[in-house]
Amino acid sequence: MRPYLALARASARSVLTYRLTFVFSMFGLIFQLLALLAIWHAVIGAGQVNGLTWPQMKSYLLVAFSCGALVSLYTDFGMAARIQSGMVAVDLTRPIDYQKARLAETVGGVWIELLVAALGWCGVITLLGTIFWPDPVHLLLFVLSLAAVVPLKFLVVYITGLACFWTQNYLGINWARVAVVNLLSGALIPLSFLPSWFGTVAEYLPFAGITSTPALILAGDLHGLAAVRGLLLQVVWALLLWLLARATWATAVRQLTVHGG
Amino acid sequence: MTGEWMRTARLYVRLLGAQLRAAAQYKADFLVMIFAAVLSQGVGLIFLAALFARVPHLDGWSFWLVALMYAMVTVAEGIGSLLFEGTWRLAAMVNSGELDYLLVRPYPVALQLMSSAVGFNGLGNLVLGTAMIVVALCYAPLQWSPLQGLILVLLAGSAVVVKLAMNLATNAASFWLQGRNPVVAYAMHQVGELARYPLGIYPVGLRVVLTTVVPFAFTSYYPVSYLADGVDATIGLLTPAVAVACVFIAIWVFRRGLRRYESAGS
Repeated sequence: MRPYLALARASARSVLTYRLTFVFSMFGLIFQLLALLAIWHAVIGAGQVNGLTWPQMKSYLLVAFSCGALVSLYTDFGMAARIQSGMVAVDLTRPIDYQKARLAETVGGVWIELLVAALGWCGVITLLGTIFWPDPVHLLLFVLSLAAVVPLKFLVVYITGLACFWTQNYLGINWARVAVVNLLSGALIPLSFLPSWFGTVAEYLPFAGITSTPALILAGDLHGLAAVRGLLLQVVWALLLWLLARATWATAVRQLTVHGG
Repeated sequence: MTGEWMRTARLYVRLLGAQLRAAAQYKADFLVMIFAAVLSQGVGLIFLAALFARVPHLDGWSFWLVALMYAMVTVAEGIGSLLFEGTWRLAAMVNSGELDYLLVRPYPVALQLMSSAVGFNGLGNLVLGTAMIVVALCYAPLQWSPLQGLILVLLAGSAVVVKLAMNLATNAASFWLQGRNPVVAYAMHQVGELARYPLGIYPVGLRVVLTTVVPFAFTSYYPVSYLADGVDATIGLLTPAVAVACVFIAIWVFRRGLRRYESAGS
Protein backbone atom coordinates (compact mmCIF):
# COMPACT_ATOMS: atom_id res chain seq x y z
CA MET A 1 0.00 0.00 0.00
CA ARG A 2 2.82 2.41 0.86
CA PRO A 3 4.24 2.76 -2.66
CA TYR A 4 0.76 3.52 -4.01
CA LEU A 5 0.20 6.20 -1.38
CA ALA A 6 3.53 7.74 -2.36
CA LEU A 7 2.46 7.76 -6.03
CA ALA A 8 -0.84 9.41 -5.11
CA ARG A 9 0.95 12.11 -3.12
CA ALA A 10 3.47 12.68 -5.92
CA SER A 11 0.70 13.09 -8.48
CA ALA A 12 -1.09 15.68 -6.31
CA ARG A 13 2.17 17.54 -5.78
CA SER A 14 2.78 17.57 -9.52
CA VAL A 15 -0.64 19.17 -10.10
CA LEU A 16 0.11 21.81 -7.48
CA THR A 17 3.50 22.54 -9.03
CA TYR A 18 2.10 22.95 -12.54
CA ARG A 19 -1.07 24.62 -11.29
CA LEU A 20 -1.31 27.06 -14.18
CA THR A 21 -1.38 24.20 -16.68
CA PHE A 22 -3.99 22.46 -14.55
CA VAL A 23 -6.20 25.55 -14.33
CA PHE A 24 -6.02 26.09 -18.09
CA SER A 25 -6.84 22.44 -18.71
CA MET A 26 -10.13 23.18 -16.92
CA PHE A 27 -10.99 26.05 -19.29
CA GLY A 28 -12.70 23.85 -21.86
CA LEU A 29 -14.95 22.44 -19.18
CA ILE A 30 -15.74 25.84 -17.69
CA PHE A 31 -16.81 27.29 -21.03
CA GLN A 32 -18.80 24.18 -21.86
CA LEU A 33 -20.65 24.66 -18.56
CA LEU A 34 -21.20 28.33 -19.39
CA ALA A 35 -22.59 27.57 -22.86
CA LEU A 36 -24.83 24.76 -21.61
CA LEU A 37 -26.18 26.91 -18.76
CA ALA A 38 -26.99 29.70 -21.23
CA ILE A 39 -28.65 27.30 -23.67
CA TRP A 40 -30.82 25.55 -21.10
CA HIS A 41 -31.70 28.83 -19.42
CA ALA A 42 -32.97 30.13 -22.76
CA VAL A 43 -34.80 26.88 -23.51
CA ILE A 44 -36.40 26.11 -20.14
CA GLY A 45 -37.15 29.60 -18.83
CA ALA A 46 -39.76 29.34 -16.08
CA GLY A 47 -41.25 26.12 -17.46
CA GLN A 48 -39.75 22.69 -17.92
CA VAL A 49 -38.40 20.53 -20.72
CA ASN A 50 -38.62 16.74 -20.59
CA GLY A 51 -39.63 16.92 -16.92
CA LEU A 52 -36.62 18.99 -15.90
CA THR A 53 -37.06 22.44 -14.37
CA TRP A 54 -34.35 25.15 -14.39
CA PRO A 55 -33.12 24.42 -10.79
CA GLN A 56 -32.97 20.69 -11.64
CA MET A 57 -31.06 21.44 -14.84
CA LYS A 58 -28.57 23.56 -12.90
CA SER A 59 -27.98 20.61 -10.56
CA TYR A 60 -27.56 18.30 -13.54
CA LEU A 61 -25.07 20.56 -15.31
CA LEU A 62 -23.03 21.15 -12.15
CA VAL A 63 -22.68 17.41 -11.61
CA ALA A 64 -21.74 17.02 -15.29
CA PHE A 65 -19.10 19.71 -14.77
CA SER A 66 -17.77 17.94 -11.67
CA CYS A 67 -17.63 14.58 -13.42
CA GLY A 68 -15.72 16.27 -16.23
CA ALA A 69 -13.25 17.71 -13.73
CA LEU A 70 -12.76 14.35 -11.98
CA VAL A 71 -10.05 12.08 -13.39
CA SER A 72 -8.73 14.73 -15.78
CA LEU A 73 -5.04 14.59 -14.95
CA TYR A 74 -4.02 13.31 -18.36
CA THR A 75 -2.98 9.95 -16.91
CA ASP A 76 -3.59 8.59 -20.39
CA PHE A 77 -1.27 11.11 -22.05
CA GLY A 78 1.40 10.27 -19.51
CA MET A 79 0.97 6.57 -20.28
CA ALA A 80 0.99 7.28 -24.02
CA ALA A 81 4.23 9.24 -23.82
CA ARG A 82 5.94 6.49 -21.82
CA ILE A 83 4.68 3.71 -24.06
CA GLN A 84 5.77 5.52 -27.23
CA SER A 85 9.19 6.45 -25.89
CA GLY A 86 9.76 2.97 -24.50
CA MET A 87 10.04 4.28 -20.93
CA VAL A 88 7.22 1.93 -20.04
CA ALA A 89 9.90 -0.77 -19.96
CA VAL A 90 11.14 0.83 -16.74
CA ASP A 91 7.63 0.69 -15.31
CA LEU A 92 7.52 -3.01 -16.10
CA THR A 93 10.56 -3.68 -13.95
CA ARG A 94 9.05 -1.98 -10.91
CA PRO A 95 7.73 -4.27 -8.19
CA ILE A 96 4.29 -2.67 -8.21
CA ASP A 97 1.15 -3.33 -10.20
CA TYR A 98 0.93 -1.06 -13.28
CA GLN A 99 -2.85 -0.69 -13.25
CA LYS A 100 -3.05 -0.02 -9.51
CA ALA A 101 -0.19 2.46 -9.79
CA ARG A 102 -2.05 4.47 -12.44
CA LEU A 103 -5.22 4.33 -10.32
CA ALA A 104 -3.25 5.62 -7.34
CA GLU A 105 -1.98 8.56 -9.40
CA THR A 106 -5.52 9.34 -10.49
CA VAL A 107 -6.96 9.14 -6.99
CA GLY A 108 -4.17 11.37 -5.69
CA GLY A 109 -5.44 14.30 -7.73
CA VAL A 110 -9.10 13.85 -6.89
CA TRP A 111 -9.19 16.26 -3.98
CA ILE A 112 -7.82 19.07 -6.14
CA GLU A 113 -10.34 18.31 -8.86
CA LEU A 114 -13.12 18.34 -6.28
CA LEU A 115 -11.87 21.72 -5.12
CA VAL A 116 -12.20 23.08 -8.66
CA ALA A 117 -15.66 21.53 -8.94
CA ALA A 118 -16.68 23.11 -5.61
CA LEU A 119 -15.61 26.52 -6.92
CA GLY A 120 -17.84 25.95 -9.95
CA TRP A 121 -20.77 25.10 -7.65
CA CYS A 122 -20.23 28.20 -5.52
CA GLY A 123 -19.96 30.39 -8.61
CA VAL A 124 -23.12 29.08 -10.23
CA ILE A 125 -25.19 29.13 -7.03
CA THR A 126 -24.03 32.69 -6.26
CA LEU A 127 -24.71 34.02 -9.74
CA LEU A 128 -27.72 32.00 -10.86
CA GLY A 129 -29.50 31.23 -7.61
CA THR A 130 -30.23 28.04 -5.77
CA ILE A 131 -30.17 24.62 -7.40
CA PHE A 132 -32.37 21.59 -6.79
CA TRP A 133 -31.40 19.56 -3.70
CA PRO A 134 -32.93 16.11 -3.09
CA ASP A 135 -33.72 14.66 0.36
CA PRO A 136 -30.81 13.41 2.56
CA VAL A 137 -31.20 9.77 1.48
CA HIS A 138 -30.80 10.69 -2.18
CA LEU A 139 -28.04 13.11 -1.32
CA LEU A 140 -26.15 10.17 0.18
CA LEU A 141 -26.86 8.07 -2.90
CA PHE A 142 -25.56 10.95 -5.01
CA VAL A 143 -22.30 11.12 -3.03
CA LEU A 144 -21.79 7.36 -3.43
CA SER A 145 -22.58 7.58 -7.13
CA LEU A 146 -20.15 10.48 -7.59
CA ALA A 147 -17.48 8.45 -5.81
CA ALA A 148 -18.10 5.57 -8.22
CA VAL A 149 -17.36 7.93 -11.11
CA VAL A 150 -13.66 7.94 -10.17
CA PRO A 151 -12.85 4.24 -10.77
CA LEU A 152 -15.28 4.00 -13.69
CA LYS A 153 -13.91 6.99 -15.56
CA PHE A 154 -10.35 5.99 -14.73
CA LEU A 155 -10.87 2.59 -16.30
CA VAL A 156 -12.33 4.02 -19.50
CA VAL A 157 -9.39 6.42 -19.74
CA TYR A 158 -6.90 3.69 -18.87
CA ILE A 159 -8.21 1.21 -21.43
CA THR A 160 -8.10 3.83 -24.20
CA GLY A 161 -4.60 4.73 -23.05
CA LEU A 162 -3.56 1.13 -23.64
CA ALA A 163 -4.42 1.67 -27.31
CA CYS A 164 -0.96 3.23 -27.55
CA PHE A 165 0.56 -0.21 -27.61
CA TRP A 166 -0.99 -0.54 -31.06
CA THR A 167 -1.04 3.01 -32.46
CA GLN A 168 1.36 5.95 -32.31
CA ASN A 169 -1.31 8.60 -32.58
CA TYR A 170 -2.83 8.93 -29.15
CA LEU A 171 -4.22 12.45 -29.62
CA GLY A 172 -6.77 11.23 -32.15
CA ILE A 173 -7.78 8.29 -29.94
CA ASN A 174 -8.17 10.67 -27.01
CA TRP A 175 -10.39 13.06 -28.99
CA ALA A 176 -12.53 10.18 -30.18
CA ARG A 177 -12.92 8.91 -26.62
CA VAL A 178 -13.84 12.35 -25.29
CA ALA A 179 -16.48 12.71 -28.02
CA VAL A 180 -18.01 9.28 -27.38
CA VAL A 181 -18.00 9.71 -23.60
CA ASN A 182 -19.45 13.22 -23.89
CA LEU A 183 -22.42 11.90 -25.81
CA LEU A 184 -23.03 8.52 -24.17
CA SER A 185 -22.47 9.70 -20.59
CA GLY A 186 -25.04 12.46 -20.87
CA ALA A 187 -22.41 15.15 -20.27
CA LEU A 188 -23.69 17.20 -23.21
CA ILE A 189 -27.37 16.40 -23.01
CA PRO A 190 -29.40 14.18 -20.65
CA LEU A 191 -29.82 10.72 -22.17
CA SER A 192 -33.63 11.09 -22.09
CA PHE A 193 -33.33 13.68 -24.87
CA LEU A 194 -31.77 11.18 -27.26
CA PRO A 195 -33.99 8.97 -29.44
CA SER A 196 -35.58 6.50 -27.01
CA TRP A 197 -33.92 3.28 -28.25
CA PHE A 198 -30.53 5.00 -28.28
CA GLY A 199 -31.03 6.56 -24.84
CA THR A 200 -32.13 3.23 -23.35
CA VAL A 201 -29.09 1.44 -24.70
CA ALA A 202 -26.84 4.24 -23.43
CA GLU A 203 -28.33 3.95 -19.93
CA TYR A 204 -26.98 0.41 -19.63
CA LEU A 205 -23.52 1.17 -21.02
CA PRO A 206 -20.67 1.96 -18.60
CA PHE A 207 -20.51 5.56 -19.84
CA ALA A 208 -23.84 6.47 -18.23
CA GLY A 209 -22.19 5.92 -14.85
CA ILE A 210 -19.64 8.63 -15.66
CA THR A 211 -22.17 11.50 -15.60
CA SER A 212 -25.79 10.59 -16.11
CA THR A 213 -26.34 8.46 -12.97
CA PRO A 214 -25.00 10.88 -10.34
CA ALA A 215 -26.40 13.89 -12.21
CA LEU A 216 -29.92 12.48 -12.43
CA ILE A 217 -29.84 11.40 -8.78
CA LEU A 218 -28.98 14.93 -7.64
CA ALA A 219 -31.50 16.45 -10.05
CA GLY A 220 -34.18 14.25 -8.48
CA ASP A 221 -35.00 12.56 -11.76
CA LEU A 222 -33.60 9.19 -10.70
CA HIS A 223 -35.03 8.20 -7.32
CA GLY A 224 -35.87 5.27 -5.10
CA LEU A 225 -35.07 1.87 -6.53
CA ALA A 226 -34.03 3.32 -9.89
CA ALA A 227 -31.30 5.34 -8.17
CA VAL A 228 -30.05 2.29 -6.27
CA ARG A 229 -30.07 0.29 -9.50
CA GLY A 230 -28.07 3.01 -11.23
CA LEU A 231 -25.51 2.95 -8.46
CA LEU A 232 -25.26 -0.86 -8.60
CA LEU A 233 -24.80 -0.70 -12.36
CA GLN A 234 -21.87 1.67 -11.82
CA VAL A 235 -20.23 -0.75 -9.39
CA VAL A 236 -20.79 -3.77 -11.63
CA TRP A 237 -19.35 -1.95 -14.63
CA ALA A 238 -16.34 -0.78 -12.61
CA LEU A 239 -15.59 -4.40 -11.64
CA LEU A 240 -16.09 -5.68 -15.19
CA LEU A 241 -13.91 -2.94 -16.69
CA TRP A 242 -11.22 -3.62 -14.11
CA LEU A 243 -11.03 -7.20 -15.39
CA LEU A 244 -11.24 -6.07 -19.00
CA ALA A 245 -8.37 -3.66 -18.41
CA ARG A 246 -6.32 -6.50 -16.94
CA ALA A 247 -7.01 -8.67 -19.98
CA THR A 248 -6.21 -5.82 -22.39
CA TRP A 249 -2.95 -5.13 -20.58
CA ALA A 250 -1.95 -8.80 -20.79
CA THR A 251 -2.32 -8.73 -24.59
CA ALA A 252 -0.97 -5.20 -24.94
CA VAL A 253 2.43 -5.71 -23.31
CA ARG A 254 3.13 -8.47 -25.76
CA GLN A 255 2.86 -5.88 -28.55
CA LEU A 256 5.59 -3.79 -27.03
CA THR A 257 8.76 -3.28 -29.00
CA VAL A 258 11.37 -1.02 -27.50
CA HIS A 259 14.15 -0.05 -29.85
CA GLY A 260 17.63 0.33 -28.44
CA GLY A 261 18.33 2.00 -25.14
CA MET B 1 3.78 44.73 -55.67
CA THR B 2 1.41 42.07 -56.97
CA GLY B 3 4.40 39.96 -57.99
CA GLU B 4 5.69 40.19 -54.44
CA TRP B 5 2.34 39.02 -53.07
CA MET B 6 2.17 36.16 -55.54
CA ARG B 7 5.62 35.03 -54.58
CA THR B 8 4.74 35.15 -50.88
CA ALA B 9 1.59 33.12 -51.48
CA ARG B 10 3.38 30.61 -53.70
CA LEU B 11 6.10 30.09 -51.12
CA TYR B 12 3.47 29.54 -48.43
CA VAL B 13 1.93 26.78 -50.51
CA ARG B 14 5.37 25.24 -51.04
CA LEU B 15 6.23 25.35 -47.34
CA LEU B 16 2.90 23.91 -46.32
CA GLY B 17 3.09 21.34 -49.09
CA ALA B 18 6.32 20.00 -47.63
CA GLN B 19 4.63 19.56 -44.24
CA LEU B 20 1.63 18.00 -45.92
CA ARG B 21 3.71 15.41 -47.74
CA ALA B 22 5.67 14.64 -44.59
CA ALA B 23 2.51 14.16 -42.52
CA ALA B 24 0.74 12.18 -45.23
CA GLN B 25 3.42 9.48 -44.92
CA TYR B 26 1.65 8.29 -41.81
CA LYS B 27 -1.60 7.02 -43.25
CA ALA B 28 -3.07 5.60 -40.05
CA ASP B 29 -2.38 8.91 -38.29
CA PHE B 30 -4.13 10.71 -41.08
CA LEU B 31 -7.23 8.53 -40.82
CA VAL B 32 -7.37 8.56 -37.02
CA MET B 33 -7.23 12.36 -36.89
CA ILE B 34 -9.93 12.82 -39.52
CA PHE B 35 -12.13 10.23 -37.83
CA ALA B 36 -11.66 11.90 -34.42
CA ALA B 37 -12.48 15.34 -35.83
CA VAL B 38 -15.64 14.14 -37.55
CA LEU B 39 -16.70 12.32 -34.38
CA SER B 40 -16.11 15.37 -32.16
CA GLN B 41 -18.01 17.73 -34.44
CA GLY B 42 -20.70 15.13 -35.14
CA VAL B 43 -21.42 14.73 -31.43
CA GLY B 44 -21.99 18.48 -31.19
CA LEU B 45 -24.43 18.24 -34.04
CA ILE B 46 -26.28 15.35 -32.39
CA PHE B 47 -26.56 17.54 -29.30
CA LEU B 48 -28.20 20.31 -31.34
CA ALA B 49 -30.53 17.91 -33.12
CA ALA B 50 -31.56 16.25 -29.82
CA LEU B 51 -32.18 19.67 -28.26
CA PHE B 52 -34.27 20.95 -31.15
CA ALA B 53 -36.28 17.72 -31.22
CA ARG B 54 -37.84 18.95 -27.94
CA VAL B 55 -37.88 22.70 -28.42
CA PRO B 56 -38.70 24.59 -31.64
CA HIS B 57 -36.49 27.62 -31.00
CA LEU B 58 -33.37 28.68 -29.15
CA ASP B 59 -33.71 32.35 -28.29
CA GLY B 60 -35.89 32.74 -31.38
CA TRP B 61 -33.48 30.89 -33.71
CA SER B 62 -34.57 27.79 -35.57
CA PHE B 63 -32.49 24.62 -35.83
CA TRP B 64 -31.04 25.26 -39.29
CA LEU B 65 -29.83 28.74 -38.46
CA VAL B 66 -28.15 27.57 -35.25
CA ALA B 67 -26.67 24.66 -37.21
CA LEU B 68 -25.32 27.26 -39.65
CA MET B 69 -23.61 29.18 -36.82
CA TYR B 70 -22.24 25.93 -35.43
CA ALA B 71 -20.93 24.85 -38.83
CA MET B 72 -19.26 28.20 -39.52
CA VAL B 73 -17.13 27.81 -36.39
CA THR B 74 -16.38 24.20 -37.38
CA VAL B 75 -15.20 25.29 -40.83
CA ALA B 76 -13.10 28.17 -39.47
CA GLU B 77 -11.39 25.79 -37.03
CA GLY B 78 -10.89 23.31 -39.85
CA ILE B 79 -9.15 25.86 -42.05
CA GLY B 80 -7.07 26.96 -39.06
CA SER B 81 -5.88 23.40 -38.42
CA LEU B 82 -5.34 22.40 -42.00
CA LEU B 83 -3.57 25.49 -43.34
CA PHE B 84 -2.31 27.40 -40.29
CA GLU B 85 -1.70 24.76 -37.61
CA GLY B 86 1.86 26.03 -37.10
CA THR B 87 0.46 29.05 -35.24
CA TRP B 88 -0.03 26.81 -32.22
CA ARG B 89 3.68 25.92 -32.18
CA LEU B 90 4.81 29.45 -31.35
CA ALA B 91 4.83 28.90 -27.58
CA ALA B 92 7.08 25.85 -27.83
CA MET B 93 9.35 27.62 -30.35
CA VAL B 94 9.78 30.71 -28.17
CA ASN B 95 10.31 28.54 -25.11
CA SER B 96 13.00 26.41 -26.72
CA GLY B 97 14.59 29.16 -28.79
CA GLU B 98 13.78 27.25 -31.95
CA LEU B 99 12.34 30.44 -33.43
CA ASP B 100 15.92 31.48 -34.20
CA TYR B 101 15.84 29.33 -37.31
CA LEU B 102 12.90 31.27 -38.73
CA LEU B 103 14.55 34.63 -38.12
CA VAL B 104 17.43 34.01 -40.50
CA ARG B 105 15.34 32.98 -43.49
CA PRO B 106 14.18 35.54 -46.08
CA TYR B 107 10.46 35.01 -45.58
CA PRO B 108 8.02 36.63 -43.09
CA VAL B 109 8.41 34.95 -39.69
CA ALA B 110 4.67 34.73 -39.03
CA LEU B 111 4.09 32.95 -42.34
CA GLN B 112 6.95 30.53 -41.76
CA LEU B 113 5.50 29.79 -38.36
CA MET B 114 1.96 29.24 -39.60
CA SER B 115 3.07 26.91 -42.38
CA SER B 116 5.28 24.84 -40.08
CA ALA B 117 2.67 22.18 -39.29
CA VAL B 118 -0.43 20.51 -40.71
CA GLY B 119 -3.41 19.28 -38.70
CA PHE B 120 -5.29 16.66 -40.65
CA ASN B 121 -8.13 16.87 -38.17
CA GLY B 122 -8.86 20.14 -39.99
CA LEU B 123 -9.79 18.18 -43.10
CA GLY B 124 -12.45 16.33 -41.12
CA ASN B 125 -13.78 19.61 -39.73
CA LEU B 126 -13.74 21.20 -43.15
CA VAL B 127 -15.64 18.42 -44.91
CA LEU B 128 -18.24 17.95 -42.19
CA GLY B 129 -18.61 21.71 -41.62
CA THR B 130 -19.01 22.50 -45.32
CA ALA B 131 -21.59 19.74 -45.72
CA MET B 132 -23.47 21.13 -42.72
CA ILE B 133 -23.41 24.65 -44.17
CA VAL B 134 -24.75 23.46 -47.52
CA VAL B 135 -27.55 21.44 -45.94
CA ALA B 136 -28.39 24.24 -43.50
CA LEU B 137 -28.52 26.80 -46.32
CA CYS B 138 -30.93 24.56 -48.24
CA TYR B 139 -33.32 24.18 -45.32
CA ALA B 140 -32.96 27.54 -43.57
CA PRO B 141 -35.69 30.08 -44.38
CA LEU B 142 -33.50 32.52 -46.33
CA GLN B 143 -34.30 34.83 -49.24
CA TRP B 144 -31.95 34.21 -52.15
CA SER B 145 -30.63 36.52 -54.87
CA PRO B 146 -27.27 36.72 -56.67
CA LEU B 147 -26.30 39.71 -54.53
CA GLN B 148 -27.24 37.82 -51.38
CA GLY B 149 -25.05 34.91 -52.52
CA LEU B 150 -22.14 37.26 -53.06
CA ILE B 151 -22.60 38.81 -49.63
CA LEU B 152 -22.77 35.33 -48.11
CA VAL B 153 -19.39 34.42 -49.58
CA LEU B 154 -17.88 37.73 -48.43
CA LEU B 155 -19.24 37.41 -44.89
CA ALA B 156 -18.31 33.74 -44.51
CA GLY B 157 -14.78 34.44 -45.75
CA SER B 158 -14.44 37.38 -43.37
CA ALA B 159 -15.71 35.26 -40.49
CA VAL B 160 -12.94 32.74 -41.10
CA VAL B 161 -10.36 35.55 -41.24
CA VAL B 162 -11.57 36.90 -37.87
CA LYS B 163 -11.04 33.48 -36.32
CA LEU B 164 -7.57 33.03 -37.88
CA ALA B 165 -6.44 36.51 -36.86
CA MET B 166 -7.63 35.96 -33.29
CA ASN B 167 -5.68 32.72 -33.32
CA LEU B 168 -2.47 34.45 -34.33
CA ALA B 169 -2.93 37.37 -31.92
CA THR B 170 -3.66 35.16 -28.91
CA ASN B 171 -0.82 32.78 -29.71
CA ALA B 172 1.51 35.79 -29.94
CA ALA B 173 0.92 36.23 -26.21
CA SER B 174 3.51 33.45 -25.84
CA PHE B 175 6.21 36.02 -26.68
CA TRP B 176 5.50 37.59 -23.29
CA LEU B 177 4.58 34.50 -21.25
CA GLN B 178 7.36 32.29 -22.64
CA GLY B 179 5.77 29.11 -21.26
CA ARG B 180 5.87 25.85 -23.19
CA ASN B 181 2.13 25.77 -23.86
CA PRO B 182 -0.02 28.40 -25.56
CA VAL B 183 -2.28 28.81 -22.52
CA VAL B 184 -3.80 32.16 -23.50
CA ALA B 185 -4.58 31.01 -27.02
CA TYR B 186 -6.09 27.81 -25.69
CA ALA B 187 -8.29 29.71 -23.24
CA MET B 188 -9.38 32.14 -25.97
CA HIS B 189 -10.13 29.23 -28.26
CA GLN B 190 -12.58 27.99 -25.63
CA VAL B 191 -14.15 31.46 -25.46
CA GLY B 192 -14.55 31.23 -29.24
CA GLU B 193 -16.56 28.03 -28.81
CA LEU B 194 -19.31 30.13 -27.22
CA ALA B 195 -19.92 31.61 -30.69
CA ARG B 196 -21.37 28.32 -31.85
CA TYR B 197 -24.71 29.38 -30.33
CA PRO B 198 -26.85 32.51 -30.72
CA LEU B 199 -25.36 35.46 -28.87
CA GLY B 200 -28.70 36.38 -27.30
CA ILE B 201 -28.60 33.47 -24.84
CA TYR B 202 -25.65 34.99 -22.97
CA PRO B 203 -25.71 37.75 -20.32
CA VAL B 204 -25.25 41.30 -21.64
CA GLY B 205 -21.69 41.66 -20.37
CA LEU B 206 -20.58 38.54 -22.18
CA ARG B 207 -22.32 39.69 -25.37
CA VAL B 208 -20.38 42.95 -25.28
CA VAL B 209 -17.09 41.10 -24.72
CA LEU B 210 -17.78 38.69 -27.60
CA THR B 211 -18.57 41.62 -29.88
CA THR B 212 -15.74 44.01 -29.02
CA VAL B 213 -12.86 42.70 -26.88
CA VAL B 214 -12.68 39.23 -28.45
CA PRO B 215 -14.99 39.58 -31.46
CA PHE B 216 -15.80 35.88 -31.86
CA ALA B 217 -19.47 36.75 -32.43
CA PHE B 218 -18.35 37.85 -35.91
CA THR B 219 -17.17 34.32 -36.70
CA SER B 220 -20.73 33.03 -36.80
CA TYR B 221 -23.60 34.84 -35.12
CA TYR B 222 -23.47 38.27 -36.78
CA PRO B 223 -22.99 37.01 -40.35
CA VAL B 224 -25.83 34.51 -39.95
CA SER B 225 -27.92 37.20 -38.34
CA TYR B 226 -27.51 39.38 -41.42
CA LEU B 227 -28.45 36.56 -43.79
CA ALA B 228 -31.50 35.65 -41.76
CA ASP B 229 -32.46 39.29 -41.37
CA GLY B 230 -32.63 38.65 -37.68
CA VAL B 231 -32.15 40.98 -34.70
CA ASP B 232 -28.53 42.11 -35.11
CA ALA B 233 -28.90 42.16 -38.90
CA THR B 234 -27.05 45.30 -39.98
CA ILE B 235 -24.12 44.76 -37.65
CA GLY B 236 -23.41 41.58 -39.62
CA LEU B 237 -22.33 43.72 -42.56
CA LEU B 238 -19.45 44.95 -40.43
CA THR B 239 -17.83 41.50 -40.50
CA PRO B 240 -15.32 42.33 -43.30
CA ALA B 241 -14.28 45.51 -41.47
CA VAL B 242 -13.83 43.57 -38.23
CA ALA B 243 -11.80 40.97 -40.13
CA VAL B 244 -9.45 43.64 -41.52
CA ALA B 245 -9.08 45.24 -38.08
CA CYS B 246 -8.34 41.84 -36.50
CA VAL B 247 -5.66 41.09 -39.09
CA PHE B 248 -3.95 44.43 -38.48
CA ILE B 249 -4.10 43.99 -34.71
CA ALA B 250 -2.76 40.42 -34.99
CA ILE B 251 0.16 41.54 -37.16
CA TRP B 252 0.89 44.46 -34.83
CA VAL B 253 0.84 42.23 -31.71
CA PHE B 254 3.01 39.64 -33.43
CA ARG B 255 5.59 42.26 -34.46
CA ARG B 256 5.67 43.75 -30.97
CA GLY B 257 6.21 40.28 -29.57
CA LEU B 258 8.90 39.42 -32.06
CA ARG B 259 10.85 42.53 -31.02
CA ARG B 260 10.72 41.22 -27.48
CA TYR B 261 12.03 37.79 -28.44
CA GLU B 262 15.44 37.16 -26.95
CA SER B 263 16.12 33.55 -27.92
CA ALA B 264 16.94 30.90 -25.33
CA GLY B 265 20.17 30.74 -23.34
CA SER B 266 23.00 28.35 -24.19
